[in-house]
Amino acid sequence: MSKKEASLTTENDTCCGAESKAVILGCSGGSNVGQIANNLMIELDKSGVGNAYCLAGVGAGLSGFVETAKAARTIVIDGCPVACGKKVFKNYGITPTQYFVVTEMGIEKNHVFEDLREEMAQALSYIMEKI
Amino acid sequence: MSTRQKIQILGTGCPKCIKLTEHAEKAAKEAGVAYEIEKVTDIRKIMDMGVMITPALAIEGEVKSVGKVLSIEEIKKLL
Repeated sequence: MSKKEASLTTENDTCCGAESKAVILGCSGGSNVGQIANNLMIELDKSGVGNAYCLAGVGAGLSGFVETAKAARTIVIDGCPVACGKKVFKNYGITPTQYFVVTEMGIEKNHVFEDLREEMAQALSYIMEKI
Repeated sequence: MSTRQKIQILGTGCPKCIKLTEHAEKAAKEAGVAYEIEKVTDIRKIMDMGVMITPALAIEGEVKSVGKVLSIEEIKKLL
């Protein structure tokens, strides 16, 4: 079984939602901060904070995604104050358990994607202090 | 020709998944609904449906609940 498959919350850990891992959703928007949000989601998954999850699936109204977002502990990371992730949730009456905006981590929004490592480290350090 | 409602129980077979299956069968019988139950135990298939917490219940391909054992009465309302 792959690492990803093993991350589903099932009988062997906390079947049926008792102490389930958080699901993490990043906005993945078309800016540096959108991509940092996406990268944060991946890093938090790798570090065991929760499972990376599909904001587009929730946005598309796919029932499994919407119902999982309702049932799970959720961490939503938006890139900027446009707050697409938060608004997707709001469309279904869901409030994220924890919510972050990358521009509130001291990072300015722009359209430069060449090297996000420094900004990424800054954002990851910020978010790990809050989680 | 009667149409059977397709009820799917998503989960790997833990006691709560079994309980949800029992509730779904009782609900369908009490509601007089023709049904078929499919137990979806393959984690890949479960995740393909977007479900990250089990057990989950889907009716006619629509996921109706995730991470809880619905009561018989709750399921009846969904059929």
